[in-house]
Amino acid sequence: MKSVEQIKLINETINKTKENLKPLSFNLIFWGIMINIMSLVHYLFPSFIQHTKYTVLAYWVILPTLGMIYTIRWNIKKGIEIGYETIMNRTIKIIWGVFGFGWMLIVFTALLNGFNPVPLILFLLGLVLMMNGLIIKFKPLTAGGIVMFMFIYSIILNPDANYLLVNMAGGTLGMLIPGIFLSRMKVNQ
Amino acid sequence: MNKDLEKLLFNPIRLRIISFLISVDNASFNKLIEVSGASKGNISVQIKKLNDAGLIRVKKQFKDNYPLTLCSITSKGKKYFEIFFNELKSFKK
Repeated sequence: MKSVEQIKLINETINKTKENLKPLSFNLIFWGIMINIMSLVHYLFPSFIQHTKYTVLAYWVILPTLGMIYTIRWNIKKGIEIGYETIMNRTIKIIWGVFGFGWMLIVFTALLNGFNPVPLILFLLGLVLMMNGLIIKFKPLTAGGIVMFMFIYSIILNPDANYLLVNMAGGTLGMLIPGIFLSRMKVNQ
Repeated sequence: MNKDLEKLLFNPIRLRIISFLISVDNASFNKLIEVSGASKGNISVQIKKLNDAGLIRVKKQFKDNYPLTLCSITSKGKKYFEIFFNELKSFKK
C-alpha cells in the first residue's frame, strides 16, 4: 500500500465516527415527562401522596430509582447497539452518573434532616444541563440549565412558591423541550 | 519507530482498527468487524496481534447475559500511531 492510500484509509476510517446524541435526547425526554407526570399527580392528589410521611418517601424515592434502573438498562442496550463510545459520550455518561450519586446524597440527607430537597436537586440539575449543553454545543440545553437557575432564584426569593409547579416548569423547559429539539437534530459529525 | 510495530501497522485491517480506535474511547468487537470489513476469524487474529504488541487493550465482559469484547487504544498505541502517521505524511511530500 502506498503512503497516500494509507492516509486515505486512515481518514476514511476516522470519518466513520459520529457523535450520537440520540441516547441523550431520549434520556432528557424520558425524565422531562417523568418529572411532569409525578409532579402533576402529586399536585392533583396531594392527600393521596402525602397520606403519611412514608407514602411521600415511597413516591419520590422509589419511582425515580425505578426510572434510573430503566434508563441505565436502556443506555447499556443502546451502547451495545451503537458499538462504540466517543470521549464526549463517556464524559456525558460520567456527568449523569455523578448527578445520580448527588441526587441520592441530597435525598437521603433531606430525609434525615427534614428539609425539602427540591431546590438543591434543581440546582444540581441546572449545573448538569448547562454542562451538557456546553459540551455538545447545543444552545437549547444550555438555556434549559440557565432557566433552571432562574427557577431556583425564584424559589429563594419566594419560599412559599409551589415546588411542584416549579418542578413541572423546570422539567419542561430544562429537559423535555431541549430533548425534543435534540431528537429532531440530524446526526452530528 | 520500531520496525516490528511499523510492519504491524502496514496491514490495512490493523491500520483500520487503530485508526478507528484513535477517534473513540472504546469500540466493540462487532463494530470493528463492520469498520474493517474483515471476517470474524481474521479480525480476532489482528486484534490479538495488536493486543500482544501493547497497542490496544482488550476487555471481555458480560452485558445482559451476552459476552461483549471492548477494545481501546493504549497510550503506546496513540504514540506509535502518531509517529506512523507523521512518517506517512513525510513520505507523501
